[in-house]
Amino acid sequence: MTDAKQPDAKQPDAKQLAAKQEEAVDPSAPVTGMDYFMKLEYHELLCPVVREFADALMDKRLIGHKCPKCGLIYSPPRGYCPICTVQTTKADEIEIQTHGIVTNYTVVTPVQYYGQEETEPFAKVSLQLDGGGTLSLQDLPGVPVEQVHPGMRVEIVWAPDDERHVDDVTNRSWGSAEGAIRGWKPTGEADADPSEYSDKTF
Amino acid sequence: MANDIAIVGYAQSPSWRQSELTEPQFLFPVISEAIERAGVERREIGFTCAGSCDYLSGQTFAFVMNLEAVGAWPPITESHVEMDGAWALYEAWVRLQHGDIDTALVFGSGKSSPGVPAEVYPHQMDPYTLTPLGADPVSLAALQARAMLDAGKITEREMAEIAARSRKSAIGNPYAQVTGDDDPDALLKEPYVTAPLRRHDLPPISDGACAVILATADKAKSLSKRPVWIRGIDHRIDIHQPGMRDLTESPSTRLAGKKAGVGDAKVDIAELSATFSYQEKLLCEELGLGDDVEINPSGGPLAANPVMAVGLARFAEAARQIAEHGKGRAVAHATSGQCLQQNLVAVLEGD
Amino acid sequence: MPADKRLTTHAIEFPYTRTLGPVYSAFLTGMRDGQILGIKSRDGRVLCPPTEWDPNTGEGLDADFVEVGPGGVVTTWAWVTEPTSKHPVDHPFAFALIKLDGADTGLLHAVDAGSMDAMQTGMRVTARWKDERIGHITDVEAFVPEAAK
Ligand SMILES: [Zn+2]
Repeated sequence: MTDAKQPDAKQPDAKQLAAKQEEAVDPSAPVTGMDYFMKLEYHELLCPVVREFADALMDKRLIGHKCPKCGLIYSPPRGYCPICTVQTTKADEIEIQTHGIVTNYTVVTPVQYYGQEETEPFAKVSLQLDGGGTLSLQDLPGVPVEQVHPGMRVEIVWAPDDERHVDDVTNRSWGSAEGAIRGWKPTGEADADPSEYSDKTF
Repeated sequence: MANDIAIVGYAQSPSWRQSELTEPQFLFPVISEAIERAGVERREIGFTCAGSCDYLSGQTFAFVMNLEAVGAWPPITESHVEMDGAWALYEAWVRLQHGDIDTALVFGSGKSSPGVPAEVYPHQMDPYTLTPLGADPVSLAALQARAMLDAGKITEREMAEIAARSRKSAIGNPYAQVTGDDDPDALLKEPYVTAPLRRHDLPPISDGACAVILATADKAKSLSKRPVWIRGIDHRIDIHQPGMRDLTESPSTRLAGKKAGVGDAKVDIAELSATFSYQEKLLCEELGLGDDVEINPSGGPLAANPVMAVGLARFAEAARQIAEHGKGRAVAHATSGQCLQQNLVAVLEGD
Repeated sequence: MPADKRLTTHAIEFPYTRTLGPVYSAFLTGMRDGQILGIKSRDGRVLCPPTEWDPNTGEGLDADFVEVGPGGVVTTWAWVTEPTSKHPVDHPFAFALIKLDGADTGLLHAVDAGSMDAMQTGMRVTARWKDERIGHITDVEAFVPEAAK
């Protein structure tokens, strides 16, 4: 999945495909392969609960839905709790804190497959926000990947007012909102005790 | 001999041209309603099977997100087909034959509005000779319609009559998207979209979902006063290359109908996945359905076409005719691929 | 669009490279070289496009290729008034099944006929080749009415 704004630059046209085929094989040799560049564009309405989430980001607020049955907090809201199979509405909306604990992380070492724009290893972290709520796929800009670890206490870094946008928030962005949240920075406090997050390490 | 399996609950969403809800969001109330109507406990359902297409919504593993509408924790036994929900129903029917479980949840869902269907569907075709031509379903259907017109098997007037009747039947259907009281002669004055097809010959682009609950015989009798029995079910497929078969016939429909037992007794109504107007006549001919059979009382796919749910919705609508409108024997039909390449036929009966 | 609606955009892209196998390799090598190949089935029919198996019986087919076309007969057609970006022709054209001379089945391709009035079931068409061919179904740019060639 790539950002629809950039794809054209890399789309090979028929001439490039021909050139590629010719450089690989003798022009009279049998044709044994076929390149096919598939590109499909989608335009989808942002669903109402995620629209509320995006609007809140513009106000530098994080919101979620708290399940009325089990109390789990979903951010961005989904409109239901899949565990309890109950629907959630605006009445279940709560504001969540903008500081919390890194509960888990992964370091991606980019392989230069088509569409991969990153070249250096980078970390994505899961967060447990103080007071409840979780976010996944978050960035810790400026923190060397070898220093990322569970238990780190972090706080949000909002994009500056004149740069903040929610154009990249979609129905499927899972809380990743780089246009509004630049990332999270360590607060310098002592690490949280594993007992605070060890059962929430998605 | 197969064990008797019955439909004991069903529900549908409306068919929307462009829903602002996500697929799991609009599936959620549909699945809950089907479970409620069946009167079964969600946690007691022995098997869940879904039909959807990731290319429609443009998200890999979209079908996994759809499980959020089911209640899949603690883990459940489930499966998925990249097919219309009618084929998920077939898988669940086979699973229930094992006899170790007594209920199954089946659902189909699709959001066609975000993509461009004419650009998405060529990717289901032969990738060497058909996909690179952008062979889209409307153009391919138009080839089949022309073949039938040239063979004298249908007229453009008959196609308009089928469309007008479908829109009129859909007036009472709360899930329908295209309804109206149209004069076939007026419809024939409209320009061609892809000749020989006009707008009324084409299905709408729809978002929507359908869910059905199946139960084994004893369970069905304990759950429902009016179980709808699946007396026969079969699916068959024809050659993929459209130029390698006679497009004016549908041998796969004929065979599936025979195996399902369509001709064994009188049929009262049929819900057919005639996605394009002319296909209704072809399907009726291959299934041996005469003028005495009411076709698509819901309005059919010309009135609501939530791809991946539209075939399963034929089961829900046929079952409704038996459970709610006192009909005795119904045919449900689903199709997949271009020009009716693959066809699934079932016979449903009341007690 | 009302202010309370917001449209989001995303795309999926897959740069596929497919291997062809013996039959499509022969077919697309032929296309590159400016000839259209069919394959003989055991009952003596010629299938074009060639397939690896007999579509009726499922039997594997021997690599018994024969040149077909470039002319043939339109067996059915559809007039596309608004081509998509994925179609081979960027102005109104016909999709048609074309039974090429020497073949017993129909090949799907575009017929660039100018207008719908020029189309007719049973008409003869012939291949219009691209100058630069790469081994692709669109090496035939489109078929054209035979008289117009
Ligand atoms: Zn809950």
